[in-house]
Amino acid sequence: MYDWGLIWDNHSALLNGLLVALEVSLCAVVISIAGGLLLAIMRMSRPPISYIAVVYINVFRGVPALVSVIWVYFGVSLLLGVDFSVFQAGVIALSLLYSAFMAEIFRSALSAVPAGHREAGQALGMRPIRVFFSVILPQAIKIALPNIGSMYIGMVKDTSTFTVIGLLEVVRVTQNVVSQTFQPFVLYTAAAAIYVLAAFVIDLVFRLIENGYASPPSGAMARALRSRKRRRIKQLMADLGS
Amino acid sequence: MSAGDETPRASAADKIAPIVELRGIRKSFGDLEVLCGIDLEIFSGEHVVIFGPSGSGKSTVLRSINLLEPPTSGSLKVAGTEYGPGLPGERVTRRGKALDLRRTVGMVFQQFNLFPHLTALDNVALPLRSVRGLKRADAQLKSAEALRRVGLLQRAGHYPQQLSGGQQQRVAIARALALDPEVMLFDEPTSALDPELVGEVLKTMREVAEAGMTMVVVTHELGFAREIGDLNVFMEDGVVVESGPRGFFENCTSARAREFILAVR
Repeated sequence: MYDWGLIWDNHSALLNGLLVALEVSLCAVVISIAGGLLLAIMRMSRPPISYIAVVYINVFRGVPALVSVIWVYFGVSLLLGVDFSVFQAGVIALSLLYSAFMAEIFRSALSAVPAGHREAGQALGMRPIRVFFSVILPQAIKIALPNIGSMYIGMVKDTSTFTVIGLLEVVRVTQNVVSQTFQPFVLYTAAAAIYVLAAFVIDLVFRLIENGYASPPSGAMARALRSRKRRRIKQLMADLGS
Repeated sequence: MSAGDETPRASAADKIAPIVELRGIRKSFGDLEVLCGIDLEIFSGEHVVIFGPSGSGKSTVLRSINLLEPPTSGSLKVAGTEYGPGLPGERVTRRGKALDLRRTVGMVFQQFNLFPHLTALDNVALPLRSVRGLKRADAQLKSAEALRRVGLLQRAGHYPQQLSGGQQQRVAIARALALDPEVMLFDEPTSALDPELVGEVLKTMREVAEAGMTMVVVTHELGFAREIGDLNVFMEDGVVVESGPRGFFENCTSARAREFILAVR
């Protein structure tokens, strides 16, 4: 009665759905990292600016993805007359929500960098902006990375709600196939497996990035990327050491 | 100025303006006044030691010299430029920017404060690039030379967490020295170190002193202080209790300073 062969028959459609989900969430994760960082900086600034960030963060952390995407796709076109494609609406909705979460991740990461490092940068005569980008931010990103990875997995899963605006992601594809085959159990199991698989892969990718941010960088890929730098240092040591 | 110079410190420098001059430096945190009017003159090439019990304000004095701790009132003059809010009632003339001040004054911290995501070489090279505007290759070459000076060229590619505390502090000294400061500030540079690592840092500092660098050192290492101190300043409760030239540790007159020196020894 369960036709598991359906999964193979529809594997390309399902994987295309995954691809769409990954594309939407990848665009959104890049935007929300930038947005979240900006919000975190605003949140840590002086009152008038910090209030704006606090309000934004608390509003958008509270809105469900489903509501957000309907609001962006239908509401914005009603209000402003701008018509977004389903892809654009998905990216915007996810970015709005996850910027708020990213802001909190970055706020805790930025405060976790020891104050002494900022002082050391200042004492060396570096400009505050330079201290931020060369000293504070690289350390904060390293601290934030595991949480950003979790957020990204959450974003991929939240794309499932965009089925309501007709985005052809995993759940939408599943529904389409179910409506033709009446095998919901088989196909939703396949959908679940695809999300879990995606989560594993994302976790793996983020571990590789984390290794690259470790000091010293660990893992074969990070070592390969830094080998030029090591050779340069060896060269300098040879030039001066003798 | 040679290390064994016995002449009183001001006589050689009478006609020369001090490179660092603190006048009436006061600092309050809320109701708590931690510095109650500090006056201090430091001449080029001098090695000044500031010591005293915890909470005496010695680190705050040091941190006010590069405005990491901006004074509440008082005037600071470094290499001919005035900084700080000025004395009460004083007409505030042109004041220098903290950024420029910090580019003439180097600082070494108790906690080293190396940047953990950068190698020893890049720790030294980063400020050379962003402050001195050197190209990457030039900055790295100059950094390697600075590391060689503190005996750590072989560790250039190591990250701070791969170095011992003493090595980290020597990299921090190299990082500050590479910018060719006119004055070096040391804020309890050996207090966070394992006892057996103190020696290598003091040795490096001794070399810096012998090279003629103007140094202000806050320390509990009174043996070292006795050795390098051209001017020794004993502080307690936000004031300078007593200060004096070489021989201070034997000749100081205030009961409190004597008591402290005996207790620390």
